[in-house]
Amino acid sequence: MNFFAQIGILLRKELVLELRMGYAISGILLYVLSTVFIVYAAFFQGVNSPMLWVTLFWIIMLFASVNAIVKSFVQENGARQLYYYGLLDPLAVIVSKMIYNISLLFFLSLLTWAAMAFIVGNKVEEFSAFLLALFLGSAGFSILFTFVAAISSKADNNSTLLAILSFPLVIPILMTLIKLSVVATGMLEDTGIGKDIGILVAIDLVLAGLTLVLYPFLWRD
Amino acid sequence: MIRQSWWKILAVVILVYTILAGMLIPLKPGIAEVTPRALQAGTEVELTVTGYNSYYSKAKNELRAWLKLKGDVVLKAARIEVLNDRTMKLHFILPQYLPSDSKDDACSLILDSPIDGAIVLPDGIALTQDSVNLLEGKKLWSVDKMDQLNAGPKLTFPYRSVLYESIRNQYFHVPLWFAMIFLFMFSVNFSVRYLRTYDPDADQRTLALNRAGFVFGLLGTVTGAIWAKYTWGAFWSWDVKQNMTAVALLIYSAYFILRGAFQDEEKKARLSAVYNIFAFAALIPLLFVIPRMTDSLHPGNGGNPAFGGEDLDNTMRMVFYPAGIGWTLLGFWVASVAYRVEKLQQRLLDA
Amino acid sequence: MIWNRLSLVCILTLLFQQMAFAQQASGDFLRSIGHIYVVVAVILIIFFGIVLFLIYLDRKLTKLENQIKENE
Repeated sequence: MNFFAQIGILLRKELVLELRMGYAISGILLYVLSTVFIVYAAFFQGVNSPMLWVTLFWIIMLFASVNAIVKSFVQENGARQLYYYGLLDPLAVIVSKMIYNISLLFFLSLLTWAAMAFIVGNKVEEFSAFLLALFLGSAGFSILFTFVAAISSKADNNSTLLAILSFPLVIPILMTLIKLSVVATGMLEDTGIGKDIGILVAIDLVLAGLTLVLYPFLWRD
Repeated sequence: MIRQSWWKILAVVILVYTILAGMLIPLKPGIAEVTPRALQAGTEVELTVTGYNSYYSKAKNELRAWLKLKGDVVLKAARIEVLNDRTMKLHFILPQYLPSDSKDDACSLILDSPIDGAIVLPDGIALTQDSVNLLEGKKLWSVDKMDQLNAGPKLTFPYRSVLYESIRNQYFHVPLWFAMIFLFMFSVNFSVRYLRTYDPDADQRTLALNRAGFVFGLLGTVTGAIWAKYTWGAFWSWDVKQNMTAVALLIYSAYFILRGAFQDEEKKARLSAVYNIFAFAALIPLLFVIPRMTDSLHPGNGGNPAFGGEDLDNTMRMVFYPAGIGWTLLGFWVASVAYRVEKLQQRLLDA
Repeated sequence: MIWNRLSLVCILTLLFQQMAFAQQASGDFLRSIGHIYVVVAVILIIFFGIVLFLIYLDRKLTKLENQIKENE
């Protein structure tokens, strides 16, 4: 079985599992909705500044992503890991997980955006720039969290460990994302937008490359 | 013994040199204060100049002073009255018109003495005139010439009005970062070696280097905060480099916590090596890319080239570069002690 | 052991109190003589920081030495 066929099968498996265990995905959706509602309720004077809107959006996204991804390795128990180990290429496992998580987070970010727009109000004016930010952001988040979840799944109390290990690493991505999104709300006229996109793409590529190089070392147990 | 630890001796020698040269070489003479700061054209004014590290009374009769406007037009002081080494009074007879097409202008004050050399207070004094007459002003201001400025003392550090003596922190605060980055770089090197060979020794070296690097980073942050308090006004100014180093320290704290999360030695070593490599790669944009693209209070950021220009002259380079080497060697020395402790602990566990 | 640790804490507390007091007494001590005491403070912090780390390693070594002695 070649590499791409393995990835295809693993992706289908992820999707089937996700749909079969409907509570996981619906739990995340509910999480997003209730957080957005809390934001709406907490800022009873309304979220007026685009800066605040963008910051809240990405913080909600950050926690939703952690919750969505932490299970991607937790649900794989030891026996199933062993089964993969004998059958598959480790790179196919991690690549399929990354692709799946990127699409999941992108979907989740669109949903968060819709929820924010519906409940709090939409502040985004340049849709293409914001969509690009959403894609680069969900790519960065999912690569980073997938890899760190792979590390922390080897330890016992892994959800705490995931937060401790990944939050410092996510800060540069988050800062660049917020800057990019603020530009997309039309509040700032930033001519250096290309530079920010460049930084994000570079960080994403470096993290993805490292994940591919390092994952085989995490794999064996 | 000597052959093995030559680099430790080198570290001590360089650090002694750094501290002696860094603390003993005086600052270049400068102008600490001038009053009044606003002058009116067509009047006779008396400026009181307070010097820093200056020796006015030694060069009493050879002192000269000018007010300098844009376009290299100058006005020489009519009379100079030296009170003591640190204070003097300059008398200027300002012409009726300024060589300027607006009512307000700013001028620099230039002092020259054979002992202290030429000292400039750039654009520190405001000038006003009641009516504008460009031609007449140019004529009135082109009488005096500024020539034959003295070079002043050679072996000095630059005088900066916000930094004063704390410019010397360049040899103590900044090299801590060099040491930290080198230590982290070597620790990544050993992490890679561990993943290649699964030799526990490489893991112990990684841990020791990270410990030492973390200590140096912490000291760099604390010393930076103190320096910032007295130059920028607050311990923490939300400057991009301060934030990024705080994040770097968080990342390496997470490394130590990760190590504590495993009981099995082999698993601990393998996973922490993987995280170490990953964290260092994430650190590179943090420390080298983002600070250069964002506005910062630090020199060398926000599009500026790092160091250089007037902030780092040749005398400073003579101390700063050895200081970087010296502190880095000290970092490796500390790391080697930590490594030997780690090694001993391992041997005890194995026995 | 515990007394060592306690005495260290006491000394550090006293030192910090002293420093706080000195600051209250003359608010601009660190700004005097062209901010030279900022440099002094920085050097002292680096010195004590490294010394504290060495003390930490030293205690660890003492513990290990004792264990080795016991093993023999």
